[in-house]
Amino acid sequence: MHTPSSTSIPSAQTQPSAAGNNANIRANIRFERVGFRYTRDVEILSDVSFSLPRGSMTFVTGPSGAGKTTLLKLIYLHMQPSRGLITVFGQDTSQIDRKAIPTLKRRMGIVLQDFDLVDHLNVFENVALPLRVAGRKQATYRDDVLGLLKWVGLGARAHVLPQMLSGGEKQRAAIARAVIAKPEILIADEPTGNVDQDIARRLIRLFKEMNRLGTTVVIATHNTDLISEDANVLALTNGQVSRINTGMRVKV
Amino acid sequence: MTEILGVNAQALLPDNKKTDRPLFMVFAILAFLATLTLLASAAGYRASADWRSDLAESITVQVKPRAELNRGPNGEPSDPAIARNILLQLSAVKSVTILPPERSQELLEPWLGDTPLPDDLPLPTLLDVRLHAGQILDSQQADAALLAANIRADIDDHRQWDREIKRTTRAAQTISLTALVLIITASITAAIFATRAAITGQRRLIDVLHQVGAPPSYTARLFSTSFAMVGLKAGGVGAVAALLLSTLIGLLFSSSGGFSYFQPGLHMAFFDLYLVVAVPVILAIIIAIASWRTILKTLFEEIYP
Repeated sequence: MHTPSSTSIPSAQTQPSAAGNNANIRANIRFERVGFRYTRDVEILSDVSFSLPRGSMTFVTGPSGAGKTTLLKLIYLHMQPSRGLITVFGQDTSQIDRKAIPTLKRRMGIVLQDFDLVDHLNVFENVALPLRVAGRKQATYRDDVLGLLKWVGLGARAHVLPQMLSGGEKQRAAIARAVIAKPEILIADEPTGNVDQDIARRLIRLFKEMNRLGTTVVIATHNTDLISEDANVLALTNGQVSRINTGMRVKV
Repeated sequence: MTEILGVNAQALLPDNKKTDRPLFMVFAILAFLATLTLLASAAGYRASADWRSDLAESITVQVKPRAELNRGPNGEPSDPAIARNILLQLSAVKSVTILPPERSQELLEPWLGDTPLPDDLPLPTLLDVRLHAGQILDSQQADAALLAANIRADIDDHRQWDREIKRTTRAAQTISLTALVLIITASITAAIFATRAAITGQRRLIDVLHQVGAPPSYTARLFSTSFAMVGLKAGGVGAVAALLLSTLIGLLFSSSGGFSYFQPGLHMAFFDLYLVVAVPVILAIIIAIASWRTILKTLFEEIYP
């Protein structure tokens, strides 16, 4: 098992400096000695360092309270680190102009544990939300949304309100919303937490398909059964990186 | 009208007709009060302008009786006729009318009632002097001319009245302005309160919009547009109600024959229709700005890092 200090930026730091710079440019997400704490509490994340290259698929694992959700929140710019450096799309998140954050967020798709579906919008409207926010008219995205809903098995549920959906259906609707705008980074927090094993495997296949199309996928999960042998894994324990497997190396 | 600046507020926010009803009532009442204040203020201003215009072009001269009256061929006092001729020679004077003795008696009615007065009771004679438009009578010159003819007269050029009317109008305008400021403050407060309630009620929607990359201005526009629409509709209802009420009051004054001097000012003027249209629009703008600022403040404080 690696210690946090020895696992920081696993590949880029072990490369010659020129190659390292190149790796940083290519890395979609990069953490360098990142610490995070709420007010004066103990650090939830401590000295976390890694790089996730563009087009990679990574599982963030660890027990409950290990800091998985916090790590994801830092990636999708929901919070700023207490210390250290985070770059997303090659930009230092602490230097990003507040006005530019929405534009960066539109390049990401997010699936949260509690789905965050809007109660008074039907499944179609929920899934179409990122496209509406991006300024597209319904006529231009109607077929795309219906097609995606069909693909995730919700074709017949497009005009149903979220409260009429089962947990698995809500999960799929949330995932559909996260991927509808074809994000460059897809972040999912326990996306299989509320579904049975069969649906969980289907969802993982969906993420793999997104990854195959070039999306950088980061999935936080405690369900290690879903993680294949060759998958990239970032394991967290007590807010520190306890293991990074070799598959995570930055492509240079 | 639901899609404004690229945000379809009605489709993204829930249909809150029932929960919006109290807010609708508040905005309607505020618009009603604002419109009524403005209509009353406009009517008062018109009445004041009418009065001052009348006063500026007319002067009252009171020819005082003497113990030994000079009388004309028909036994009427000759002083008023002499005074009339003197005044007519002044360049500013257009016409002079000797008012009948009944008008002098009317002046005494508050003290003596409508009991017929004895014919030999010496009463002053009133002369209604009309001036050429834009001309001012030199009171001192007129006084001197009358004195030279041994006529004792008081010239009332209504300056005192004019000052009183001006002062009263100014006071009424200050009261109206204060009322309007209070109404605007109440509108802003209601809009802020409603926006905060909406932020709490629609927190999930706001969070999701933030997640999917909606800029703060998009979310702010969504809510402020929605509240502005409520304000516009409620403002329209309130303004029309105020218009109907003021028209009704005007009609009641007309039919009762009372307040005849006030009556012309309380009639509807075409300008009043502008007020009725302007109040809901201004109310909607005020609400939109208050809501916009409230939601942006909340977004930057609580949601955006």
